[in-house]
Amino acid sequence: MIRKTLFAAAALAAMAGSAFAASAWTGGDDLPTNPLACDGTAGAAAAKPYDGGEPTGAPDRKGKKITVVDVPKLIGIGYFNATSKGIADAAKELGNVDAKTDGPTQANIDQQITFIDNYITSGVDGILFAANDPVAIAPVLKKALSKGINVVGYDANSQPDARQWFVNQAEFNGIAKAMVDNLAKEIGEEGAFAIVTSTFTTPNQARWIAEMAAYAEKCHPKMKWLETVEAQEDNVLSFNQATTLINKYGDELKGIFGMTSVATPASAEAVTQANKCGTIAVVGLATPNAMKPYVEKDCVKSVVLWNPVDLGYAAMQVLRAVADGDLKPGATSVKAGKLGELQVINGSEILLGAPFVFSKENIGQFDF
Amino acid sequence: MSDIALPVRRPSSFARLFEAYGQEIVVLAAIVVLFAIVGLVNPRFLSDTNLTSIFSGNAYIAVAAIGMAMVIISGHIDVSVGSLIGVLATIAGTLAVSGYPIWVAWLVPVLVGIAINTCLGALIAYMRIPSIVATLGMLSILKGGLISATGGTWITGMPPGFFIAQARLFGIPSPVYFMVVLTILVALWMRYSATGRSIYAVGGNAEAARASGLNPERTCVLVFALHGFFAGIAALLFATQLQVIQSTVPPNLELTVITAAVIGGVSILGGTGTVIGSTLAAILFACIGSALIFLNVSAYWLRAVLGLLILATVLADMARRRRGLSP
Amino acid sequence: MSAAWKNLLLRHETILGVLLVITLIVLAFQSDRFFTADNLLNQGRLMAEVGLVALAMTFVIVTGGIDLSVGSILGLVAILLGVFWQKLGLPLPLAMMLGIVVGGVAGLVNGLIITRFGVPPLIATLATLALYRGLAEGISQARSVRGYPDWFFMLGQGEFLGVPVQLWIFGLCAVIAAVILGLSTFGRATYAIGSNAVAARFSGLSVDRSLLLIYTASGLIAGLAAVIFVSRVSTTRSDMGTGLELDVITAVVLGGTSIFGGRGTIIGTLLGLGLMQALKNGLALAGVKGDGTIVVIGAVLIGTILISNIFRKDADG
Repeated sequence: MIRKTLFAAAALAAMAGSAFAASAWTGGDDLPTNPLACDGTAGAAAAKPYDGGEPTGAPDRKGKKITVVDVPKLIGIGYFNATSKGIADAAKELGNVDAKTDGPTQANIDQQITFIDNYITSGVDGILFAANDPVAIAPVLKKALSKGINVVGYDANSQPDARQWFVNQAEFNGIAKAMVDNLAKEIGEEGAFAIVTSTFTTPNQARWIAEMAAYAEKCHPKMKWLETVEAQEDNVLSFNQATTLINKYGDELKGIFGMTSVATPASAEAVTQANKCGTIAVVGLATPNAMKPYVEKDCVKSVVLWNPVDLGYAAMQVLRAVADGDLKPGATSVKAGKLGELQVINGSEILLGAPFVFSKENIGQFDF
Repeated sequence: MSDIALPVRRPSSFARLFEAYGQEIVVLAAIVVLFAIVGLVNPRFLSDTNLTSIFSGNAYIAVAAIGMAMVIISGHIDVSVGSLIGVLATIAGTLAVSGYPIWVAWLVPVLVGIAINTCLGALIAYMRIPSIVATLGMLSILKGGLISATGGTWITGMPPGFFIAQARLFGIPSPVYFMVVLTILVALWMRYSATGRSIYAVGGNAEAARASGLNPERTCVLVFALHGFFAGIAALLFATQLQVIQSTVPPNLELTVITAAVIGGVSILGGTGTVIGSTLAAILFACIGSALIFLNVSAYWLRAVLGLLILATVLADMARRRRGLSP
Repeated sequence: MSAAWKNLLLRHETILGVLLVITLIVLAFQSDRFFTADNLLNQGRLMAEVGLVALAMTFVIVTGGIDLSVGSILGLVAILLGVFWQKLGLPLPLAMMLGIVVGGVAGLVNGLIITRFGVPPLIATLATLALYRGLAEGISQARSVRGYPDWFFMLGQGEFLGVPVQLWIFGLCAVIAAVILGLSTFGRATYAIGSNAVAARFSGLSVDRSLLLIYTASGLIAGLAAVIFVSRVSTTRSDMGTGLELDVITAVVLGGTSIFGGRGTIIGTLLGLGLMQALKNGLALAGVKGDGTIVVIGAVLIGTILISNIFRKDADG
């Protein structure tokens, strides 16, 4: 009986699983991709009308002291520590904002929703968020808007109409281009590589992988993708997974992409401990502090990232501008304190800038 | 490593051996079969570099499973071990970067582990709080406390002598020695010393053990204290493997450790099982994790395959025990 | 005071009820936004899924068992709901029913492994925890299913007579569960199995059939919770329900159900749930951060059982 049930379940599972069309690389999502031109000429961005939401019955907050809560995907990891610092810096600089960061200890959609819901009840003036899931978070954000709360996202977007603005650290296709171009430069046009990501369900990572696959197909068609492995946000697991990849493919493996700020340093460590520095390249998203030892030893040549402290800072500045009524639908740019003017793209997104590539020459100047 | 404890009375009879160490033999056989199959598909699986990384990269799980096996054999359970290892690793790293001598950074986490778990053991033994409840509460306290204290800031820049898990002796990484030596010592201790045997007695039937003059409460506290010691060692191996300590709780570590102990033949009802089994099971898990990548199992199905393998091991064990029971 | 009165006063449920009232009063003084109908109803919405699963878990734990796989079943059913509807093109109501049925089948498999093979529930459901989550990941290929029709959101986001829809469902299930466990022969059998399975077997109870029913019900309820959850968050992901089992078990145990079986009530579970949710919400409104709240809940869990043990020792002696 058990065997039959299991068998039936397995058959059902296989059927259902095959119903999904696989994307080019494991770990990517199936949303449409938009690879950039190979030579870096910017595509003509079509002007798009404002598609964000509007709070109903928001009081006039111009110049008044406001309380803001920041709910990242999870607390207790280096990346969101950095964004949280940026938010606190901006709040201090502005002087009329009382900001705090609070959130779940695991990247869990349910818990994140509960946190936001509780802060709506507690009566904050503004909410900053980085969504664990763009759709799941939408109802609670719409509820916040309906209570007159200003809502601004950063790092990971929600559905546009569930928030007012989204501060975009760098466009997905821009990140994808920077990653793939840098690896191609290091391992050549015909090199084979593997990817270490967090989980396949993390939206940002899935988006990057899909865009990377599209861009590689367009501009570096002979590069060979081997496989993608999951490693949670766990550095020992990331290290073990990267080591297994190195052992499995031997000399065939020329490069590793690290898709998270945890996976990249752990992959670099795996390459170092396997004495493969110089033969296996690591390119990835990471924070400079964790990468300094490997960059200084020449084991890693390029690290791609925006500055997460700036990202948090910009998000806070945007929220203040929205609350003050200085940033209105239809605006083309916004003043963000020490970062200067930031451009509005895609209707209701504010672009932080192009992704930054850290290298041996400049990594010493950053501390986060 | 299992043959150290094997030459007990009448080693000639395989049936007797199988009866005494059935699950250990099943797990060992599974490891051998796995090596054979994956080695045939991709010989690189058997390369010394891959074997070393499987063993040394996962030795901390085996070490933590030794303590967990003792806890389960004594009739209890601990779901807080993952959080404890996260806390102890953070303590080790913090001390190391704050300029304390390296031996302090190594010693203090082990002592703190013993202290925390002794309290936990006392709460369970003398206050009669079921172990799953006490450790469930402890899990929340340690996890929330760790994030409150550190905010998850990464610890980097430990002095070079700190990385005990990266040391090698005769080409073999130190975690492997920790795993093998501790397993053998504990297996011998639990089999031949009076105190060690009392753990089985208490786990099998606490009241009968009390009637025969043992003190179940004291045994419980002792077992948890030892479990704390092993969690401390595991935390050291965990923390010194890489240049960075995350100062968060490793996700799902407690499930991995409990599963290793249980698959190794430790009965959740207490009273039976050996730490040899738990160590072998930890190795088996590590091998499976690596093997699935080598065999090109679709990454999306990886966890389902792992779940099926666990289920198969459990059912095989149950079938074996049933056969053992019927004449 | 008569012995009966003393017994009632020292029951775990009474102690817990007093603790809950004190907590509510203290939290109400910490924030004037806590004790409002709006907030309390909203909290009910947020805890409905955990609550539903906790009802079935009370039965499971009263028999001396445990079901760690509920979170994974929730994830699996959520994914299948999306797959049945979007990929196989079934009508949504049928997909919902089928999803819940699959939850029941998953629970039945747990029950079969436990009764037919004699595998201890902790191990059996530890294995299926990995298996069901793995199936959810494999089937979904890590893709989400979105774009459900608007009527579907009624279940998780709508209201009926001013009360969230899922709270009605939860209330109905709670009453049914309380009646079955407290008043029916099946309920008495459940306690008998938990107190002493061997004795129950000898006294003519069909232990295996009862256990199969209970684990199947646990799966079914997890399936129902999955449908409500998908409706509340309007999307499906394969990682839904991760860690749910710990919340559920905490609530049930906090409610005075003995982990060794044979003792526990639905009222206790409801009080446990209420206390847990009140702490999470009230502390957040009082300005305590999430990590601090986790510490408090852990301490309250240990503390409550400790106090209850001390009182019971008094009552016994």
